[in-house]
Amino acid sequence: MAPSLLHPPSHLSPSAALQLSQKAPAVLASSPATISNTPITSLFSAKESSDLWLRYENLLLSCLRTGDEQSANQCLERLVLRFGESNEKVMALKGLVKEADASHNGDLEKVLKEYEDILADNPTNIPITKRRIALLRSMGRIPEAVTALIQLLDFLPTDPEAWSELADLYLSQGMYPQAVYALEEVLVAAPNAWNMHARLGEVQYMAASSIGAVDATYQKYLAESLKRFARSIELCDDYLRGYYGLKLVTSKILTDSGKSPKEVKPTDLDDFVLPTQGIVEKLNEAATEKLSEIVRRYTAQEAHWKGYDKEEIAAAKELLAQDAPQTTR
Amino acid sequence: MAQVPIQTIHRDPQLFYWILLPITVVMILTGVLRHYVTVLLSTPPKKLDKKAMREQRALMHGIGLRTNYHVLSKRAFNIRRDALISAYESGAYLKAPENRGQAPPNPLSDPSSMDGMMGMMKNQMAMIIPNTLIMSWINAFFSGYVIMKLPFPLTIKFKSMLQAGVATRDMDPRWMSSISWYFLCIFGLQSVFNFLLGSDNAASQMAQQMNQMGGTQGPQMFGPGVDPDKQFLAEAENLAVIEHYSVLDDVEKRLLEGIKG
Repeated sequence: MAPSLLHPPSHLSPSAALQLSQKAPAVLASSPATISNTPITSLFSAKESSDLWLRYENLLLSCLRTGDEQSANQCLERLVLRFGESNEKVMALKGLVKEADASHNGDLEKVLKEYEDILADNPTNIPITKRRIALLRSMGRIPEAVTALIQLLDFLPTDPEAWSELADLYLSQGMYPQAVYALEEVLVAAPNAWNMHARLGEVQYMAASSIGAVDATYQKYLAESLKRFARSIELCDDYLRGYYGLKLVTSKILTDSGKSPKEVKPTDLDDFVLPTQGIVEKLNEAATEKLSEIVRRYTAQEAHWKGYDKEEIAAAKELLAQDAPQTTR
Repeated sequence: MAQVPIQTIHRDPQLFYWILLPITVVMILTGVLRHYVTVLLSTPPKKLDKKAMREQRALMHGIGLRTNYHVLSKRAFNIRRDALISAYESGAYLKAPENRGQAPPNPLSDPSSMDGMMGMMKNQMAMIIPNTLIMSWINAFFSGYVIMKLPFPLTIKFKSMLQAGVATRDMDPRWMSSISWYFLCIFGLQSVFNFLLGSDNAASQMAQQMNQMGGTQGPQMFGPGVDPDKQFLAEAENLAVIEHYSVLDDVEKRLLEGIKG
């Protein structure tokens, strides 16, 4: 699938990002540097469309990633020409270009100082607030980033982007309950996001694994993790990450029940309980079957089955391979 | 009943050049002008300060939780519900906690709400003034002519619409007067403006009237004159009465059935 300039490029592989940014001179040449807004000229020249500015923004991000600073600056110039210096988003992009230009920590400190000055003027400049948090994080000042995020979320509690960033920060610090809480907030804002359901399942699985001993909290995490993965598959058929997680969780539950047959009673009726052994086994079988089907069809390059990520397929293969000796036994 | 003879009226062909075209051109030009006047007069939406934003978003957070509570487990939902209800009831999210319990300020005396009213006034003016002018212009110069014959037959009911300003009882409704052409232009030029000015133009009056009718519910929620404290209390009550269920209950059974089926 060719990468499109209309989607944010942050998830692209390095090669795809390079491919995009190499198109930069062509894209920049194909549209005029300034867009006239008078009706007579707009009849004859290219129409201004929101796609165009989206394209510039995404091109800017790709170019910064691949180090094509000349094209990035050109994109930025055009955005500034159109939207003015005081546009919040343009301010954030300018800061981003400065961050990319910075060669050592002192420069970054300077950019950070600028952000703080802007925020002192206008504390509700969301793009700059987010840039400041991202900069703090990339400078390794995690506690400050978390504090700033929590301040942002205090007056903007409906922003899923900020909540997921907070979840990621907490996760990187191993604070699982907090990460779970933040991810739940993301789901409240976007209830049908299957990838977030699967992500929450993953975090809960990690939380369970970090506990080690089989106790009530452990079982609660595993039960909810299983249900989250099941929900993500329910929302999105053939979702590889969902099936992968489902298989992981069910295998773990099955090996646990083999080790310690004694049932741990749930302490709280509010929590989810694990489904019965039979259902877990069936889910495990179904996940294994589906995973091998996905791997098989992807490897055969069947139509409509090529969209999976190469690394994810490799991981699924590995998981299936671990399983193989057990099933032949 | 005898066959009604086909009415023929000999019109000066110059009528076409001196009435039909001028009216159309003037209508288009006023539309374009109105678009640019509206753009010039419009004020950018006012920036919210941090506290006002916090107040609004906190309320929206509660509404979001109320609509999507089913993605959470019961325990997670209860934690959030208790926290939100106590915060709402204690007024922790209010922009001005000291004003709590007082009557909301009169929206007419509140300067922040005047902006919205002024904007509406300006839009109205940009619509009414040119309409009145053109209407009187047409009435003064072109009234009393029949300027064209529609290429399709019409029933008698259309007479009052199409032959405004021409008081002839027996004339076929297909004949059209200049005022009627003006009204047709008002309603029919939308696509021309779309072509000239892009689809979100402010030239057409129809679109603006639609907006005024449909758009009143949205901003009303945080509009002037609404007491946020009362909204918070109502929302706390809404949250308190939720009977929780989770979409994760029995999801594995649904999934197994789905895979089999």
